[in-house]
Amino acid sequence: MDSTSQPNGNDRPPTSRSQSNTTSSNYIGKHRLTAIISQHNQQIQLIQEELDQLETLGEASLVCGQLISSVESSTDALLPVTRGPADGGWDRWFQRANQSSSSRHRRRWI
Amino acid sequence: MSSSSVSELKERHIAATETVNSLRQRLNHKRLQLLDTDIAGYAKSQGKSPVAFGPTDLLCCRILQGHTGKVYSLDWTPEKNRIVSASQDGRLIVWNALTSQKTHAIKLPCAWVMTCAFSPGGQSVACGGLDSACSIFNLTSPTDKDGNIPVSRMLSGHKGYVSSCQFIPDENNYLITSSGDQTCVLWDINTGLRTSVFGVEFQSGHTADVLSVSISNSNSRMFVSGSCDATARLWDTRVASRAARTFHGHEGDVNSVKFFPDGNRFGTGSDDGTCRLYDIRTGHQLQVYSPPHQQQGGTVPDAPMVTSIAFSISGRLLFAGYSNGDCLVWDTLLAKVILNLGSVHNSHEARVSCLGLSADGSALCTGSWDTNLKIWAFGGHRKVI
Repeated sequence: MDSTSQPNGNDRPPTSRSQSNTTSSNYIGKHRLTAIISQHNQQIQLIQEELDQLETLGEASLVCGQLISSVESSTDALLPVTRGPADGGWDRWFQRANQSSSSRHRRRWI
Repeated sequence: MSSSSVSELKERHIAATETVNSLRQRLNHKRLQLLDTDIAGYAKSQGKSPVAFGPTDLLCCRILQGHTGKVYSLDWTPEKNRIVSASQDGRLIVWNALTSQKTHAIKLPCAWVMTCAFSPGGQSVACGGLDSACSIFNLTSPTDKDGNIPVSRMLSGHKGYVSSCQFIPDENNYLITSSGDQTCVLWDINTGLRTSVFGVEFQSGHTADVLSVSISNSNSRMFVSGSCDATARLWDTRVASRAARTFHGHEGDVNSVKFFPDGNRFGTGSDDGTCRLYDIRTGHQLQVYSPPHQQQGGTVPDAPMVTSIAFSISGRLLFAGYSNGDCLVWDTLLAKVILNLGSVHNSHEARVSCLGLSADGSALCTGSWDTNLKIWAFGGHRKVI
């Protein structure tokens, strides 16, 4: 689906380009500029915090090791090779005992 | 007011913009320095071998037919076998996926639905869409004279469409929505009120429509959101004023976000045709999953967009639906496509718009613009070690 914004999320006053009054257009210009500068200052603070934090973070390789461990120690019904224990309920999708004359291939587990 | 103070402000604006840009560059550079490897590089260096599926290992074992329009969203119950789906036909259908039977068909007051979710207890379903509201239906309610289940609660307040909704795990009375109004909201269903609005202050959150949310299973106070502003953001539900972290990298709308099973990572799927895996603690982009036909590091015009993603229960497999009908199964550790469910027997005949794993991880459900849902499970020889 298209992801277009609704037009009504903006709290700032609209700028009218047809206004010829210099004073009011200056006021609106100051108001907008002040708001934008304030946003930028907020962003500067956030980015600086993140930069400071990065000094203490390890490299990606450390994280990769943790991720691989967590994946390999988990059981997964959709993998051809998986850590146990297997759950008998995993096979319920192929047990068609309630269906009559199913043309689907029936599988059993030993 | 004198014009000189306007020009002063303009200078300050220029200076601030330059500072933001140069800090961002430093941040990107520093991050790149810390990316000494991606997951695939690391896994290969450890000698990991890819998952290998035989041709009939992952089989379509159920086709759920009943919608008369495109399927847009689906969600499983925590108790294994039921699914709720939402469609362009203006209905929610609740299925018993094991028997293929429909247990409920809910005709929605607003037909333009985009998302649906099952409550943790399985007694309620939620949906939302272009009406900018999230509606709750109690499945045990008596039907009205037309045979419809009435809305038991309507959550109103968003100023744009509701793109995604999810109940907080183990909480039947709280859910999170994402919206075209650029915010996410935590709702108290009992009161119908917004407990928190994430990103409402200007520039503290997403800067475009939010398309997707995913709540961590291991820490239900954390959730991620994906947006048309090409970022994903991590939120702490106790801190609505600003995102805990913003994740850059995508070059298009982030259509889908999903927490990794271990709760420390999450995946994304985007209009730029790639999926990515991010680490929430460090912010590192750990892996890019770029289909073989795409050039590395750049976008190809008309590359298929990723519509939806899900991880298998261990995280070893990443399922991704694309706008061209592909449904790729990725080995997450080796970043290799091991199967395309879009080109096997019984594949969907149109775009896969949504997908999700059953609670025990034994089945994948895909929903498509071809109006059907399909259930896929492992039907090959399984080796348990």
